[in-house]
Amino acid sequence: MNLTARIRKQVSEQLSWDRLLPSEQPTYVSSLVYSFGVLTLSSLVVVIVSGIVMSAKSPVWYQTSTVGEYFRAIHFWSVQAFFFFMTMHLVVQFFMGSWREGRALTWVLGVLSFGVGVLTAFTGYLSRGDFFAQWNQVQSKDAFNGAGLNGFFNALDNGQIYGLHIAVLPTILIVLVAWHLIAVRGKGVVPPYPIEGNSGAKVGERS
Amino acid sequence: MKQAYQYPDAKRFPMKDFDMVKEGILSLIVITVLVLIVAAIAGAPYRPAVTNQQVAMQSPLVIEQTALGDLDGSGSIASYGPPYNNGTGSVQSIAGFSPQTWWGVSYPVNTATDDVITPLSMLASASGNSQLAKALSTYQEAPSATQAKWNQNLSNAFNKATVVGGTVKLPAGNYGPVAYMMNSELQLARSGLLSGALSRETNQGVYRFNVQNDLLFLQGDALHDIAGKTDLSGEQWGINHDEQAYPGPWWLTPYTFFYQVPPWNTSAAGDEMTAYTVGALFLLLLFVPWVPGLNRLPRLLPLYKLIWRDWYRDEKGRKKDNKADPGFGAQVGHNH
Repeated sequence: MNLTARIRKQVSEQLSWDRLLPSEQPTYVSSLVYSFGVLTLSSLVVVIVSGIVMSAKSPVWYQTSTVGEYFRAIHFWSVQAFFFFMTMHLVVQFFMGSWREGRALTWVLGVLSFGVGVLTAFTGYLSRGDFFAQWNQVQSKDAFNGAGLNGFFNALDNGQIYGLHIAVLPTILIVLVAWHLIAVRGKGVVPPYPIEGNSGAKVGERS
Repeated sequence: MKQAYQYPDAKRFPMKDFDMVKEGILSLIVITVLVLIVAAIAGAPYRPAVTNQQVAMQSPLVIEQTALGDLDGSGSIASYGPPYNNGTGSVQSIAGFSPQTWWGVSYPVNTATDDVITPLSMLASASGNSQLAKALSTYQEAPSATQAKWNQNLSNAFNKATVVGGTVKLPAGNYGPVAYMMNSELQLARSGLLSGALSRETNQGVYRFNVQNDLLFLQGDALHDIAGKTDLSGEQWGINHDEQAYPGPWWLTPYTFFYQVPPWNTSAAGDEMTAYTVGALFLLLLFVPWVPGLNRLPRLLPLYKLIWRDWYRDEKGRKKDNKADPGFGAQVGHNH
């Protein structure tokens, strides 16, 4: 088996523009709830852009300068938006049973993105450089130690927290989200549950 | 020849035009504008971090009590256990399962040496204070029973101490050199140099990425007193809410919930129990597609009917039409 040929075939199928950017959708895609995903993604873009500016300038900048404080506020509110829309997206997708018909991987990638998002945000809260960060560092150390993560993580080491927050965790998050999107496009959005018809037979249910 | 692309479910469902890129751009613009406006109007929460110097100015007794606890080993970090030392005071274990101990002492702290003896030696050396240098050598050369007696006497005396003009006034007693050492620690903290002396311990040189010992010195009464006043302690849903009027990390609500209810909030291994409980719940969420019952729950709840109400209404219409003329709608369907 030629590995190069196999990868090329997989990539050209999975990552074709036709598949990634379809210009039509099934007619059942007609509800505002379908916007939660794209709103989550848009919030993440604002989070990342504001975060890149902040990391380019340093933690001292975003704590002490007026422009830096504004960027910290942008980062803060875009994270709030990100979690709001991501939570709505998660809840709605649950009620749609969106893992059906071969979409389990899409669900798993979405939930993993949520989990990594929470960790990323937490290391962000510890990187604020204010009392809230200081307090949560000393409080969370007991949780991390008790859980047995002390072999890897020191909640009082700002170097490690900041590195995790601006490089390690965002990289994992971006990979997961990208993979999640590719999975969504690969299978298409989940169809509605079949419902009972007037005659009692399930409308549209394939036997 | 390349096969024409078809949407995965195009054969099963009627399709409509959908401009995904336009929707994405619109969504990005709306979110960006909203965030920029809210950030400009509301700003973001910020309360400056608390320094040893501030605590020394406002609560001198707290600094001396903390330093004495570090010196005599009665402080919570002195007896914490892994990852800081070999104590057992804060080792969490559920029926013998204690992953906290698996990694040994990863971030060593000897509170007597690191928090008291070394900083005071540096102070004595830097200021040419021979009285302090003598006090330190007297303490270190004394038998441990004598040290313990001085420490105990001073610890008891702190209960009757008063603060006058920023210094701690003690009743007369046999404290050996310890009272003078604690007063020197307080003066070091008041000067603002104690943080630097403590941070020095956990970094290998000039670059101070690790603030462990500085934060560990404050982590007891000093920070708890301040956090309690702003409703930030664990039993007050701590991490869950930010400064007044700002939303906090509300997504941690399921996590902080366990800190409010027994047995999690009453167990000595509460942190460990909470971490593994939340871990198990996360796995449940992750594997929903395969969890019997849970994976069929949305089918039993009527919310999907609301989400796809347009589709179901139209589908009934299509079904009626199909009875007369089985066309596209006849193909509509899917495996459950």
